[in-house]
Amino acid sequence: MCDNTVKVGEYIVIQKQNYKKLHKFNKPNSSVSVGKDTLNLNGIEGTKFFSTFKMISRGKKRSKEFDLELTAEAVNLIEEIGLKVSGADNRNIYDDGRSQKLSASEISDLTYDSTKASDIVETLITNSNTFHNKTEFSQEKYLKKKEKKYFEYIQILRPNLRIITEILYRLDSSKVQGIRIDTLSQIITLSNISNEGNHLLYDSGSNGLLAAALLSAMGSEAKGKLVHMHPGNMSQKQALLAMNFDSEQFNKCLSVNVYSALRQVYQGCDTHTQKETVLESECNLKRKATDEIEHEIKIPKLDDSQIPIKDHDTDESNVAKKKPKWHFDNIAASEVLKNKVDSLVIASKEDPQNIFLELLPFVKPGRQFVIYYTVAEPLQNLYMILKSTSNVAALRLTCNWMRNYQILPERTHPEVMMNGSSGFLLTGYVLK
Amino acid sequence: MSFRNYKEKIDEGDTVILYLCNNFFAIEVKPEIKNKKGELIENVYQTTFGALKVRNLIGSNYGSKVELSKGWGHILQPTPELWSLTLPHRTQIIYTPDISMILLQLDLVPGCVVVEAGTGSGSLTHALIRRVRPHGHVYTFDFHDHRAKVAQEEFQEHGLADFVTARHRDVLAEGFGDDLKEKADAVFLDLPKPWTGVPHAVAAIKNDGGRFCSFSPCIEQVQRTCLTLEQQGFQDISTMEVLQSEIKVSRKTVPVRDLSFLKHKGSENPVEEKPSSEKTYVVGTWPHSTPGHTGYLTVATLPPSFIRRKLKLTKSEECNGNPIEEDKNLDEAMAVDENKF
Repeated sequence: MCDNTVKVGEYIVIQKQNYKKLHKFNKPNSSVSVGKDTLNLNGIEGTKFFSTFKMISRGKKRSKEFDLELTAEAVNLIEEIGLKVSGADNRNIYDDGRSQKLSASEISDLTYDSTKASDIVETLITNSNTFHNKTEFSQEKYLKKKEKKYFEYIQILRPNLRIITEILYRLDSSKVQGIRIDTLSQIITLSNISNEGNHLLYDSGSNGLLAAALLSAMGSEAKGKLVHMHPGNMSQKQALLAMNFDSEQFNKCLSVNVYSALRQVYQGCDTHTQKETVLESECNLKRKATDEIEHEIKIPKLDDSQIPIKDHDTDESNVAKKKPKWHFDNIAASEVLKNKVDSLVIASKEDPQNIFLELLPFVKPGRQFVIYYTVAEPLQNLYMILKSTSNVAALRLTCNWMRNYQILPERTHPEVMMNGSSGFLLTGYVLK
Repeated sequence: MSFRNYKEKIDEGDTVILYLCNNFFAIEVKPEIKNKKGELIENVYQTTFGALKVRNLIGSNYGSKVELSKGWGHILQPTPELWSLTLPHRTQIIYTPDISMILLQLDLVPGCVVVEAGTGSGSLTHALIRRVRPHGHVYTFDFHDHRAKVAQEEFQEHGLADFVTARHRDVLAEGFGDDLKEKADAVFLDLPKPWTGVPHAVAAIKNDGGRFCSFSPCIEQVQRTCLTLEQQGFQDISTMEVLQSEIKVSRKTVPVRDLSFLKHKGSENPVEEKPSSEKTYVVGTWPHSTPGHTGYLTVATLPPSFIRRKLKLTKSEECNGNPIEEDKNLDEAMAVDENKF
């Protein structure tokens, strides 16, 4: 909100018509693929968000590589071409595949030779037998379709929660546990997340989307912390990183391994053990690296250079090398848990029952919890179990329905395709 | 003051929520209230499980059990969601599923400045406040002077006056005011003619751009609004609706009718033609009657001023100052290109 320019090292969103792509802008002279095209991002650093760029073809015929040139505005095809002659209905239009006189190779040559999409499309229209017999609506639909194919402008946007949610859900909904934007919006409100209070999140794989959502609602001046528990090492947190949170806000999130955090709370020790690498299904290099560090802490004799430093806990930089960040996060998280949290959000791949019953004692009385699951049955079973216990109230199992609309004069109707799955939420309040 | 911060104990003057048998009730914690004659009497709240002496709530913990003469309930601290379910309706309100979507679609985070019209009963307003506090602000307007006043008093009683400014103003006629020029990150309209508010929204939104959302029950309103949004330079215009269904969970015992024994001649005569055993499932059933429509949510982005474009209006539109007056003019609006001058 304060600075609106594109910076290297941050995530950006590239928008072409309705298609949006999330991309980490690593180096000034890097490339990104957008659909079938490869765009060179040289020149976008320092430009303001919402800047529009024209795609200029690089060199070779039929190559899909483009440079970007800053432009004042994208040209709207329908305005450029202007519909003049049209028919009343389609009774005399036959679909024989022969209405376009140009061949496929002629069209692709045309695409290369022209500098404007409107030139290409005007040529296609001139060479079409049927275009002028189509109704005005049909002509507009044709132009919209061509615009989608030949559109040569992109816009760079700043990533935010709404855009990231849409992109990740559309790309692969299973990577975000099927959490659609309407359900995500309710998880944030029903858990009463605000800049106040400490909040607890258990998330076993939404690509960081839930942590990003809760952290964003807490704000950078949040008075409390978000304890983000997860199984294993958090290797995938694309959504969290894509929000470009500054370090102050990012540090409000204490990401901890659920085993370590609970062990710290109940037993007071703060180490991972070898056993856990066997239990977890995720296997990655980062995990092995932390195990190595942990070994070094336990057996100082292995590395002479570390023995003298071990005693000086106040020497931050060396201690940080000795004891990694997760060690401090773990201790901080267990402190927050011992003082109890103001809300609980669970979105697990595992059965929610154990997780909920184990984390329930950490929630203050009178506060709300939200449990998300992709299918209803585990939540139904949990509902029946909780109904008979006396320390939860107002249990509700809900799911959401969402539909988008096409709004055009004389052509307004719900969109033809709809998304039918949004998971289920079990919500309630914790009682004394 | 119970909306402001998380609290442990109930104080006099708090608004609390009584949870009783799957129902919520808002109670103002005043030991004495005025009766019809204007005399002060003991505040006793009547429920289906008996009477509750409100005085006894003072000093109790939120989340604790309260005894009633014929049963018990629990006391919860109010949240915007609980308030939406229990608040006194002065107008039709917006409920949590739509509220949740509005908050996410407007890209609201703590620190944002958001403008709302009309205030109505303050259902959405409470949620907006929670989202933008402590350094953001909500400016809310209602053209009904009594409603605007009640809203102001309510925000004061709830301890939220620092985060919201509620004013009596007809924003469609007068705009949002010079003091809000280019100050808002987001504008929300829940008014009968939101398309007339779109130019005012453009004036109020920051130079760096912002988000717009309009809630309209009727599709005709949506059509007019979308056309105006496009004309006024908004991009990414999208209309949607959201509905929430509650699933009733119960244990269902179903009779099992065995028929396989009929394959063989049996000794029993006559045969028992009744179900022979039972099976139990935990089932989720869908409600018979459920909300089918609340309103359409139209959302759009106003890009920063350096990239904003305005479509040329037709001559008739410019004279009227309104995008479309009647349905027949929708055709005229479509033919914008031909009338370009």
